[in-house]
Amino acid sequence: MPEDVGESAAGRWRRRLLDLLGRNLSVVVLALLCLISSVATWREQNPITSRSGGAVARQVLEACPAPCSVLVVARDTEADRVFARAIEEGLDDSGVRIAGRVFGQPRDVRLELERLAGLDGSLDAIATHRIASDWGPVRSAGARVFSPRSYYWPTFLTPRNLLNVVNQNADIAIIALGMTLVILTAGIDLSVGSLLALAGVIAAVAAQEWFGGAAASPAGLLAAMLLGVAAAALGGLLSGTMVTAFRVPPFVATLGLMMLARGLALILAVGHQRRLVGGGAEGTPEAVRVDAAAFAWLGNGAVLGVPNPIVLMLVLFVAAHLLMTRTMFGRYVYAVGGNVEAARLSGVPVTAVLLAVYCLCGAFAGLAGIVDASRFEGGRPNAGELYELQVIAAVVVGGASLAGGRGRIAGTLIGAMIIAVIQNGLNIAGVASYEQKVVFGALILAAVLLDRLQPKIASRRARMTRGSTSTPVQ
Amino acid sequence: MLTWMLVAMSFAALGACGGGTDGGDGSGSVTRGTIGFSAMTLKNPFFKIIADSLTAEAERHGFDVVVTDAERDVNRQSQQVDNFLASGVVAIVLNPVDRIAIGPAVRRANEAGVPVFTSDLQAVADGVEIAGHVGTDNYQGGLLAGEAMIEALGEAGGEVLVLHFKQANSCVLRVDGFRHAIGEYNRDRTEGRIEIVAELEGGGLRDEGYRAMADGIQAYPDLAGVFAINDPSALGARTALEQAGRADQVRIVGFDGEIAGRQAIRDEKIYADPIQYPDRMGVMTVQNIVRYLDGEDFERVHLIPTELYRQADAEQDPTLD
Repeated sequence: MPEDVGESAAGRWRRRLLDLLGRNLSVVVLALLCLISSVATWREQNPITSRSGGAVARQVLEACPAPCSVLVVARDTEADRVFARAIEEGLDDSGVRIAGRVFGQPRDVRLELERLAGLDGSLDAIATHRIASDWGPVRSAGARVFSPRSYYWPTFLTPRNLLNVVNQNADIAIIALGMTLVILTAGIDLSVGSLLALAGVIAAVAAQEWFGGAAASPAGLLAAMLLGVAAAALGGLLSGTMVTAFRVPPFVATLGLMMLARGLALILAVGHQRRLVGGGAEGTPEAVRVDAAAFAWLGNGAVLGVPNPIVLMLVLFVAAHLLMTRTMFGRYVYAVGGNVEAARLSGVPVTAVLLAVYCLCGAFAGLAGIVDASRFEGGRPNAGELYELQVIAAVVVGGASLAGGRGRIAGTLIGAMIIAVIQNGLNIAGVASYEQKVVFGALILAAVLLDRLQPKIASRRARMTRGSTSTPVQ
Repeated sequence: MLTWMLVAMSFAALGACGGGTDGGDGSGSVTRGTIGFSAMTLKNPFFKIIADSLTAEAERHGFDVVVTDAERDVNRQSQQVDNFLASGVVAIVLNPVDRIAIGPAVRRANEAGVPVFTSDLQAVADGVEIAGHVGTDNYQGGLLAGEAMIEALGEAGGEVLVLHFKQANSCVLRVDGFRHAIGEYNRDRTEGRIEIVAELEGGGLRDEGYRAMADGIQAYPDLAGVFAINDPSALGARTALEQAGRADQVRIVGFDGEIAGRQAIRDEKIYADPIQYPDRMGVMTVQNIVRYLDGEDFERVHLIPTELYRQADAEQDPTLD
């Protein structure tokens, strides 16, 4: 109905809304998933903070004024100690006597209670948090137990969990950046999981055998890591060469590399284990352990409370986004994916672009491998199995077309987060892994379906905007 | 356009109903808290039995249980540990997928003050604190497997092959025990000795065990016996031997005593198994958690001895139909 001039205001708004939703469907889905996860994880939360410690102190003062003797019970963690200190500060100068304090396990509470029973003077109250208030010795101590009131809040929306969600999938997201480039050129890279493992093992073996093992310097560790990334980039270059010089379909070329790289990772790891035990026996395909403590910084450290893998992911994301939107290279990649022949005829260096794209994808996989090795304090030859599928799923869910030419880096990041949120939401909601697989499969099918039907939507949108020529090219 | 919204809504429904049926009962009710269990792989019935017995026993004591499947991937298992910590469980139970690489995750649990218990497999990483372990005495099991092999081969002795799964420390202990028993037997013998001619990777799985055995028959035509480190790989080996027409000449000793293995023993397809008790592992682990929370002392490492299970036992086994 192209000449629908008499459109009502409500109709126009409805159209605008739908148009907006259509353009940002993946964002909408992500928001919806976050909402569902929040509802499904609406649980009792038990605060262990300085504030809740103060609240407990006030409870004690109200219900058990001086001369009252209190045992403070907390676990041996940082948060618990802060909590316990707040209790004691709240009770300062009130005449309430601190009979004792326990930082430990239920067993330590029992021992402390036995010690207190040996002394004279009764124990009136125990001040602790909700978790320890369930401990057997606390419950059977015969004293009044004070703990902070719990409140209800979605476990999904706790800072710790949100950081977990992103952190756990930072490696997938990093590889997905590289995979987006490959898929934009209408290619595919199945070798990323294996390149991840190879990079991790090479970095670990290099750190252990060439750069000093436990005594390795930060510069040595960095060199070992770069070596791993370089090896993965080289692997990517190899598949790029197969694709460009020999016209091997990307699926087959990277399938070959996938097996090759996995095999090399296993050989290197087993060889290292064999050298560890002094030759002779066959080594085992265990992780190649890195003794230098600094090696774990990238995977397990944090900057201002944000885990390093997330920081790395964000930096790479911004870099990739700029690369694809602000540079000639980015335009070339879209051009190659849109129509190779047209790109070639208009002077785009197709071969160089494809080589660079596969090489970058390998390097991103290698970086993810370094993150993995650092996280587990060693290179795991079995790491990244089936990652290629998760990564491709993230890219496709993020809206990139497997036919090439269409897709955005931002979309990929959202796609990776959609998968992350589903996984995490289902996990903490207690959905068994078998059902999770069904959800994932359905999600990927839906995303591909969406991809197939996209031209129809675009044409309908074009009709709705009455022949406006500004069809989105992304 | 509305179609796509419907697609999204269907996920919503799927997610919501999944959450409702499996995990929604944890909130609000009066429980002693949640125990998180990350199983090695729920594709192997052995670990499913641990999960089921652990769940039943924990519920009897008033706990909720969340069971997750690490699918033999330590990355996945670490993520599951982090998720347990974020959702505030009172205790975590693991079958460590990788005894060393699981270290950082266990350390995070230690830092959060949440006790970690292991079952079946142990964690040996540096600086980790494991509150309790219940597993099989695998070395003793290996000794029994050796005795069973000696019994099966009789005075003739012969060449024996081992189907290994080196990645698992439990299996390394089994083979160590097996080798020790065979070594003791051979000590004063010049005739009828038992020679362990090779250790092949059977992956602890039926298909990999099958392939390894098929190759093993070619390489060692005079084989008299096979020790497979678990039932799936023993059954895979049996299939390979049957296909090669060698099933009558090569005796198999397995390990585990899972139901398919016990049926094979009844049908004389496997000679004998040292059997493990995964159901007891689940129950004892929960009992340890209860003792931990009650501040009682308990055995930090408890190894359950295996028992040899032969055809005579299978015939009286009421669980086999």
